Amino acid sequence: MAGIIELKGLSKTFGTGENQVSALKNVSVSVEKGDIFGIIGLSGAGKSTLVRCINLLERPDQGSVLFHGKDLTELKEKELRLQRRKISMIFQSFNLLDQRTALDNICFPMELEGVPRKKARQRAKELLETVGLPDKADAYPVQLSGGQKQRIAIARALASDPEVLLCDEATSALDPKTTGQILSLLQTINKERGITVIIITHQMSVIEQICNRVAILDSGEVAEIGDVVDVFSNPQSQAGRRLVSPNVAEPALDWDIPIARIAFNGSVSEEPVIARLVTTTGIPVSIMGAATRNVDGKAFGTMLISLPEDPGKKKEILDFLNGCQGVSAEEVTEHV
Amino acid sequence: MFDLFSDAAKVAQQMEIICSEYGFALWETMYSLLLEVLFSYVIGLPLGVLLVTGEKEGIRPLPRWLMTVLNAVINLLRSVPFLILMIIALPLSKLIVGTKVGTAATIPPMVIAAFPLVARMVESSLREVNQGVVEAAQSMGASALQIVGKVLLPEALPSLISGGTITVGTILGYGAMAGIIGGGGLGKMAINYGYYNFKFLVMWAAVIGLIILVQVFQSAGTRIAVKCDKRLRNRS
Ligand SMILES: Nc1ncnc2c1ncn2[C@@H]1O[C@H](COP(=O)(O)OP(=O)(O)O)[C@@H](O)[C@H]1O
Ligand SMILES: [Mg+2]
Repeated sequence: MAGIIELKGLSKTFGTGENQVSALKNVSVSVEKGDIFGIIGLSGAGKSTLVRCINLLERPDQGSVLFHGKDLTELKEKELRLQRRKISMIFQSFNLLDQRTALDNICFPMELEGVPRKKARQRAKELLETVGLPDKADAYPVQLSGGQKQRIAIARALASDPEVLLCDEATSALDPKTTGQILSLLQTINKERGITVIIITHQMSVIEQICNRVAILDSGEVAEIGDVVDVFSNPQSQAGRRLVSPNVAEPALDWDIPIARIAFNGSVSEEPVIARLVTTTGIPVSIMGAATRNVDGKAFGTMLISLPEDPGKKKEILDFLNGCQGVSAEEVTEHV
Repeated sequence: MFDLFSDAAKVAQQMEIICSEYGFALWETMYSLLLEVLFSYVIGLPLGVLLVTGEKEGIRPLPRWLMTVLNAVINLLRSVPFLILMIIALPLSKLIVGTKVGTAATIPPMVIAAFPLVARMVESSLREVNQGVVEAAQSMGASALQIVGKVLLPEALPSLISGGTITVGTILGYGAMAGIIGGGGLGKMAINYGYYNFKFLVMWAAVIGLIILVQVFQSAGTRIAVKCDKRLRNRS
């Protein structure tokens, strides 16, 4: 199946001579309709350049940008403008019009399309509800917090009824709690409106929380691309491993109780496993430490739990854990 | 020049001149100011916009040579001293307003002197607009004209108003000098009665009138600019 957005062989070079930077090198990515597609990479990897090539804010030197199979790079300016209305974008710095109220900001894309003012305001009010800020219609951007500004920007992006939403580091200027809220808002929008979301980020946690597919960008090249679960559980590339490498939980030297290390490889979520362990065996354990990463509700990484002294009970626990799919457990001996 | 009140007869005579002519001079100053500001913006505003939108990285790049010519002409007009420019441009008035004398005749040269200033001021105001907002508008499919009308100008409005205030002050100053080449108004009053006829009381009255005008426009302009700037949290 052809994706809603297909980038084929994109290359982009900035500058000349000594200052020449190859921001993109033969990048090909296919995004399916309904995806929440993450593009992750270190700063300077070319993520922003890539996402800006999708709506041609940046023109690639080579390659094509297919939207519904149509190459946007070949369109006349006027046609391109019409297509851009179907591909909205939100930014790290929000980019709201400072001299307009929140409501008028949301009306802006509808004004561009010539939607009658009354109708536009009506729809803008609905969108304010959607993003959870119905009482901020008359607020100016300066009166809003970062998270609120991004919500207004999202409402504005939805105003043109887009099929795709591009997010360039949309949560990078926000604190973790607000980031979480904005991400769930994006997820809701994706589910309820069927809008394909493309998220650019340098934060693993963002991809983990909402993406189903991911591309890892490394120095302008796609290092790896696939389902988030696959890429994160078993990264094939150097860049992928560097990003994902789940830290190993290490027991402290002075713990003088038996400890088991449980490794999760992503087939299950850790909470039910521990809960079932306790209810099935009837032996209480405490979690001593964890370095797990939740991807799509599945756990990766390791966890340390306390074991009873009794060898029989010890074995019962280890057997139970090793019997669970995607989990392996062993007693840690190195710390005693 | 500062012995204004020792001769009662002279004072009475000058007071009479002030009473009979001041009102008309003020009116002439105001209406030529209005026309000059108006036409300076009619020419200068679009040029200022082009200076920003037409550059290589602008939203609607113009040919390089055109931008070079535009910049050169503006710089040239800005660098010729105002009085010289007025004298050179005065023949143009014959073409445009049909006469080389009187207040109306001084308006075209003043506009020629002022529009380059306006263009530069508009240019610098528009450059202050956050480039990200322009990009956001582009990503929504805005045309170049829409970006100018709905993003650049409205977002730069407070700064444009501040620039307008400076323009008004400068044109008032030009207008005073235009008295030398026959322009009417307070400037002419000051020069004719004061410099040529030693009626210093009249001169001071005219000068003080100009000073007050500049003050009034300046504080009004600043106040409006602040008032309409929605980026300032505590006002609105
Ligand atoms: N307009 C530009 N001019 C020159 N170099 C640029 C420009 N935009 C991006 N670059 C360069 O391209 C590379 C990729 O930048 P970018 O796409 O912004 O990376 P990321 O978003 O992943 O941090 C960087 O080396 C950056 O300096
Ligand atoms: Mg970036």
